Amino acid sequence: MLSIKQLNKTYANGVHALNDVSLEIPNGLFGLLGPNGAGKSSLMRTIATLQEPDSGQIHFKGLDVLQDKEGLRRQLGYLPQDFGVYPKVCAEDLLHHFAVLKGIGIKSERKEQVESLLRQTNLWEARKRGLGTYSGGMRQRFGIAQALLGSPKLVIVDEPTAGLDPDERNRFLNLLAEIGEQVVVILSTHIVEDVTDLCPRMAMICKGQVLIQGEPQAAIASLKNKVWRKSIQKAALADYQGRFNVLSTRLVAGKPQINVFAETQPEEGFTMVEPDLEDVYFLQLRNSQARQAGASQGAVHVV
Amino acid sequence: MWFEFFKFDLRYQLRQPLLWVSALVLAAMAFGASSTDAIQVGGSIGNINRNAPVVIAQMLGSFSIISMFIVTIFIAGTVLRDSDIGISDMIFSTPMRKQDYLIGRFLAGLLACLTIFITIALGIMIGPYMPWVDSAKVGPFSLQPFLFGFAIFVLPNLLFIGSFLMLLAATTRSMMLVYVGVLVFFVLWGVGGAFTRDISNEWLAVLIDPFGTRAFSRATRYFSAAESNAGLPSLNGFILANRALWTTVALGCFAATLILFKPQRAGTARSLFGRKNKPQASDSASLIRAQARPYAVSSKAASPILQCWKIFCFDAIGVFKSVPFLVMMLFAILNFVASVSMGGRLYGTDVYPVTRLMLENLTGSFNFMLIIIVTFYAGELIFKERQAKIADVIDAMPIPNWAPLVAKSMALVGVVLAFLSAGILAAICFQLIRGGAPVELGLYLKGSLIGAVPFILMGLCALVLQVFTNNKFIGYLLMILLMVSQIVMSILHYDHNLYSFPGTPSIPYSDMNGFGHFVKGWSFFVLYWSFFSFILLVLAQAFWVRGLSQEWRVRWRLALTQLKGPSGLLLSLSLIGFVGTGAWIFYNTNVLNHYLPSNKTLDRQALYEKQYRQYKDLPHPKITDIRADVDIFPESRQVSIKGHYVLQNKSADVQDILRLQVDPDIETIWLNLPSHKVVLDDQTFGFKIIQLTQALAPQGRLELDFTVNIKRLGFTNSGATDSINLNGTFFNNGAFFPHFGYNSGVEIQDRSERRKRGLGEPERMPKLEDEAARAFNTFGSEADWINFETTISTSQDQIAIAPGYLQKTWEDQGRRYFHYKMDKPILNFFAYLSARWEVKKGDWKGLPIEIYYDKKHAYNVDRMIYGTQKSLDYYSSQFTPYQFQQVRILEFPSYQSFAQSFANTIPYSEGIGFIADLRDTEDVDYVFYVTAHEMAHQWWGHQIAGAGVQGSTMLIESLAQYSAMMVMEKEYGRDKMRRFLRYELDRYLRDRGSEQIEEQPLFRVENQQYIHYRKGSLVFYRLRDEIGEEPLNRALKRYLQDKAFEEAPYTTSKDLLSYIRAEAPADKQGLITDLFEKIVFYDNRVTDATAKQRPDGQWDITMKIHLAKLEADSKGTESPRLYDEPIEIAVFARVPGAKEKDERVLWSEKRQQPGGDSIVTLTVKEKPFELGVDPYNKMIDRVSSDNRKEISIE
Repeated sequence: MLSIKQLNKTYANGVHALNDVSLEIPNGLFGLLGPNGAGKSSLMRTIATLQEPDSGQIHFKGLDVLQDKEGLRRQLGYLPQDFGVYPKVCAEDLLHHFAVLKGIGIKSERKEQVESLLRQTNLWEARKRGLGTYSGGMRQRFGIAQALLGSPKLVIVDEPTAGLDPDERNRFLNLLAEIGEQVVVILSTHIVEDVTDLCPRMAMICKGQVLIQGEPQAAIASLKNKVWRKSIQKAALADYQGRFNVLSTRLVAGKPQINVFAETQPEEGFTMVEPDLEDVYFLQLRNSQARQAGASQGAVHVV
Repeated sequence: MWFEFFKFDLRYQLRQPLLWVSALVLAAMAFGASSTDAIQVGGSIGNINRNAPVVIAQMLGSFSIISMFIVTIFIAGTVLRDSDIGISDMIFSTPMRKQDYLIGRFLAGLLACLTIFITIALGIMIGPYMPWVDSAKVGPFSLQPFLFGFAIFVLPNLLFIGSFLMLLAATTRSMMLVYVGVLVFFVLWGVGGAFTRDISNEWLAVLIDPFGTRAFSRATRYFSAAESNAGLPSLNGFILANRALWTTVALGCFAATLILFKPQRAGTARSLFGRKNKPQASDSASLIRAQARPYAVSSKAASPILQCWKIFCFDAIGVFKSVPFLVMMLFAILNFVASVSMGGRLYGTDVYPVTRLMLENLTGSFNFMLIIIVTFYAGELIFKERQAKIADVIDAMPIPNWAPLVAKSMALVGVVLAFLSAGILAAICFQLIRGGAPVELGLYLKGSLIGAVPFILMGLCALVLQVFTNNKFIGYLLMILLMVSQIVMSILHYDHNLYSFPGTPSIPYSDMNGFGHFVKGWSFFVLYWSFFSFILLVLAQAFWVRGLSQEWRVRWRLALTQLKGPSGLLLSLSLIGFVGTGAWIFYNTNVLNHYLPSNKTLDRQALYEKQYRQYKDLPHPKITDIRADVDIFPESRQVSIKGHYVLQNKSADVQDILRLQVDPDIETIWLNLPSHKVVLDDQTFGFKIIQLTQALAPQGRLELDFTVNIKRLGFTNSGATDSINLNGTFFNNGAFFPHFGYNSGVEIQDRSERRKRGLGEPERMPKLEDEAARAFNTFGSEADWINFETTISTSQDQIAIAPGYLQKTWEDQGRRYFHYKMDKPILNFFAYLSARWEVKKGDWKGLPIEIYYDKKHAYNVDRMIYGTQKSLDYYSSQFTPYQFQQVRILEFPSYQSFAQSFANTIPYSEGIGFIADLRDTEDVDYVFYVTAHEMAHQWWGHQIAGAGVQGSTMLIESLAQYSAMMVMEKEYGRDKMRRFLRYELDRYLRDRGSEQIEEQPLFRVENQQYIHYRKGSLVFYRLRDEIGEEPLNRALKRYLQDKAFEEAPYTTSKDLLSYIRAEAPADKQGLITDLFEKIVFYDNRVTDATAKQRPDGQWDITMKIHLAKLEADSKGTESPRLYDEPIEIAVFARVPGAKEKDERVLWSEKRQQPGGDSIVTLTVKEKPFELGVDPYNKMIDRVSSDNRKEISIE
């Protein structure tokens, strides 16, 4: 559906934001996972026609996006990571305004869509209020309402759940999942569970490169029997990190508990655990860092 | 602790680019002002040096006011900066004391601002030493005026403005409201200044100015050039008191800031307008899942035009609701009201608020705000989405690039139009409140649209710059650079409108002539610049940035793709239009008309003077008769003249040389030059010398016929006003008739421009003692008195008039003809007028008086008739009979504001008199006065035409002033005359400071208006007072009887003085010398006045007075004189609460008192109220208000 080929972008300050990125994204929710500064936003902005790549191609349903930006914009819904509003304008007015800009030509149709979206995002009661008085969650819902105007075929949402409380976040993701039944939805996030729970497909990127792409479950399955856990003393942490491929460390009741990637039990005291996407994520990051450091360890590629 | 804040903040401030940018911009302004005349910041004029101490102090004072906007940023802004960038919580949670914080910040800001002023001072310092500055106008360098300026203006003003604004910032917590405060403060300051200008309480007027500049200008307003160059005013009571007051206020403000400043989060306090902040929405309801409905995208997509329209509405409404727009509008309206309620006043008398004046006032005091508004909102509109961080959302929507650009352009145009509409509304309200003048809606509409054009074009340019630079501040900077470059270009004499965006020829409006023929040239220039702006807009939409700002390499690539297709076609078409109209304009301005940059014009003038001055005033046959058929074609603006001159050799020698001088730009053909040899023929200057084969014997006559064709083709670059108009043609013989001999009117008068071109000092007039110059009268060397007859034709709907009496009028082939003939010789000074007039007739003892006026201006026609009657009464009884049999007053368009007397014909501008508002009978009736003045010229000018030497305009103008004052005094009484003379005194004292060459004593006046009008009034009124009206009029009558209609050698001011001296008693001869032959000032004042009642009921009065008499030289350097004349001392009684005009004189005497301080005691019968020396201000005294003093009763 959306196919990205060999996308490259280097900023004027030398940052290689996109490094030969190629992705195939079908209908449904597509998770884009990566640490801060990985190039997620650059990629999404490029798809959303807001940024020119140095080279590469993007096709959406047969449409050459880089040549016919207008064509893509007609079927695009975009919710940027950090967006603002006009504080003194009310939600309904601004949504109407956006509806025109999105190209909904008929007034009655605009009205119907705006109303429906306001209800769907549960902003109907607050529709007359200035956007400046909205809470973070409401504003985010307004953002999604805006993105859904005009029945987009491609919806791009950049870190939409940052700053939302767990309840709000769940509802938000449900809404996205529902939309994703019919169209392409790209969801960028650095919260691993979001992807695990929702996305049939995903990609991980770091430093502008795609580390893996595919189904989360397949990625998790590839680590089956290879993740080991142990509670250790704080003082020994550095020692462990030096000796094993430590994926993650977390404190459990004040004591560090480490997850280690290994084909066999690394040491006495380690127990095998069920891998999750976070383990995949960290493994990819470690590998990528290791590659950067020059000591290549042979990346694990999953399909 | 405070030092840490100070240090940190100073380092921060000094690293701000804005500080250095503003310092450089202001320093450049200061440099420009001190090295050129193009930028005026209270700079030097006339003989005042560019670096005169007073000029330097004034400039620093002005800059300290201008800098208010910068101080806002560097001092007031520091209080709000922390909460703006969101660091305030961190700072205010540390255990610091707010005093330390505020003092440190304030001092750092103050020091930063001082840095700016040091660069400004450097700019002022080096300006005068630039190579292009006339070194004669540069005095020795001294640091003292700079120290004075810093101590008196810069430091106290920074202190005051800084602490005042800091207080505002600390209490309102909003930078926007601080700016509002600045604007409101400015308005109040300006309005306050305007309204206190006339008040009598000098202390109040001076003290309420927080900047101290008014106290300073009060101390220096009557400085002569010499005084301005020599030094600074002493730190008298006014200046010191003002500075002390406002420094105290400043410290008070600062103390209040220390108390009121709350280091808490902004916005947690209650809202200023009582509107409670709505509680943050807390909505815990779960998402009600409306059934997800797939929306079918409508087959009918929104057209880009609809999108564009919606963006336009959205943006325009956003601007209209925004605070800066409303504030600037309010500011402009207040400024307009202040200016319009004072505007057009003459001698304190208002004018009717006609729509034309409203529009002029709007242009001058209201519209200028638009340049700030369009510049500011161009940035705001372009960056609106990005500032709200919503740009990414919108940029990803299916909108073509041009839609938001066009919408924002339209929004900006809408802003301009809305702003102008507000101005119109204010003007209409003003018209309705003052009343008396019709509201002309159509004219408002046209005038405002014309006024809007440059601002719209500038606004579009600002938008485009914002798009190209993609950086708001660089965009603003480029706009400022554009404006500065326009000034610089005009300094360098690059003044063609074709390359100075968005230049157009001027398009003046007159009630008589409407926008006249100016519309055409203006329209083409507007079309030209519209094409230009359109090209910029097409390019801007190609370079429109979507999403993240791209590198230029990418923007170019994208732009080039954008420009393929329709927008490329549009670009080419508008380029063709641009070049096409440009070529057409060039053809009109430079091929059909001559275009010379102003410096080239001066070069030409200099060349003419160098080549042909040798022929000045050489003997030449003089014109004795003129007959002319003049056809005026108003609609095509053509005039053709078929003329006939009779020349006579009035010298004792034979003459065979004719020096013909014609205007090289119009076609003049001599039809019957007798056989001759061409000695010189200069086509460039139209100067030709021929030697006649047959010389002209003494008294011999020569008849010359000629035709002149004046055609106005196309349009010109400047749109300068013209004498040939669609309605309201007015030209005199000087303009189009051929002349003889060198034309000294071409000579450059400006000393610096002369020096640049190697010309000597300007000679305005030959010396009074130059006997040879008495061969010619002041109206020119070509003729003495001439016989005059003319036939004029004009279009059917107009009347045409020239001096003489109407012999016959008829119509032929759709044109009207008028034949005028004068029955006795007149000066070689006559005019032709043609317009659509109404005519009102009156008479004086059967002698017809006719007023030709525009139907809109019937207001004062009866006053003019009445004034004419009263003038004829006085002049013909006191002087000599009126030599003509008719008086005609004719209105002409307001392109010039004067009235001028020709034989029996007085053109009178629609700008003065015709629209004076005389409904308040307390006001000075200057319509009556101007009419009487012009009528007096029928004697002084048309009977007495003095020799063209020094003092000639005293014979003409000062005597006309005197005559008119006498008529006015008869009608309105002495009290009105005192008011009138106060204005004359003020204008004399003020204008002499800007003398370009030398101030002359009255009897040597060299056509200097402040002398022959203003000082002339004062001198003759005092003379009348000293020697009496009857003896003076007797002298004038005898003078007229002896010298009227005399030929060469013409009379001079010396002759007049001898007639006056003959009538004056011996003890007034010294006074006459002082009045006419010297420049004398008095400094008389009452320093103390007390009274005590005696047991017998009478009152003993003791007064301390100070008398001084000074004599000034031509540059204004003064030397003391012995106080050698009696002084009038008077005591007045006044009923409690009564006004000055109701006072009674208890005692009055002229007595001889010594100069300096002295004590006078006397006794009066009743309780005195006030006393004075020279209590009616008849003497030329720079401070007239201290001549009287209220008596304190012991």
